[in-house]
Amino acid sequence: MTIPTFQIHYFASATTYTGKQTESLPAPLPLHQLFDVLESKYSGIKEKVLTSCSVSLGEEYVDIHDCEGVMIDAGSEVAIIPPVSSG
Amino acid sequence: MTQDPTPSHLDPQTYPRHRTDPTLNIHLELTYSPLNPQTALDKISSPAAGANVLFLGTTRNTFEDRPVAQLSYTAYPPLTLKTLSGIARDAVAKHGLTGIVIAHRLGVVPIQEASIVIAVSSGHRGAAWRAGEEVLEICKEKAEIWKREEFVDGEMEWRENRERDAEGKRVVSG
Repeated sequence: MTIPTFQIHYFASATTYTGKQTESLPAPLPLHQLFDVLESKYSGIKEKVLTSCSVSLGEEYVDIHDCEGVMIDAGSEVAIIPPVSSG
Repeated sequence: MTQDPTPSHLDPQTYPRHRTDPTLNIHLELTYSPLNPQTALDKISSPAAGANVLFLGTTRNTFEDRPVAQLSYTAYPPLTLKTLSGIARDAVAKHGLTGIVIAHRLGVVPIQEASIVIAVSSGHRGAAWRAGEEVLEICKEKAEIWKREEFVDGEMEWRENRERDAEGKRVVSG
């Protein structure tokens, strides 16, 4: 049996900290629990990386601190967006 | 859980990626190939334009006097192209542009080569000058692209634009 999952992409400092560019995590997951799930896998990531990051679900930014009731469904795409540096 | 393959946004084979709006003469590009400034100028060319402004951001060989060996960029196109579209549309509306190109190179960009091209045209020079600078600053603030500097001593650092102003000076926050 296949476990339902969502895909999470990491960039820049989040890639360095997790050692991954992407991974799949069990779905569904309430969005407000995302940082706790990541903290349990990557101890210290919340304070060192995630506090300065944005989060996208699908192709939309979401407010991780005000998302009561929002679920990350199976097959969804989530991205951790650290401070940017184009140019 | 299965091993995850490289996601498509990190696979150079899935580039270049474009988004264009022919009505507003907007041209956006993310590419792993060298950027061509003449191509950008050709795209913004218009019989209604009296001013054409081109900006090339090129990769510098130092960061705070530390020698940089090479730089590389990654993007997340689902968000990056959406963000660039919004920036371009806003600039066209605000400054009455007759054309705009925003192109960013990804992957390794050798020192002294262009990592970003901004080209804008307008009826008169004031609007194009202003728009060129403004578009670049908003891109640097918002576009979902990340730069990694690899130093000659082997260390690597992810850069954050929020730490530097347009003169390269450190921004003191809070």
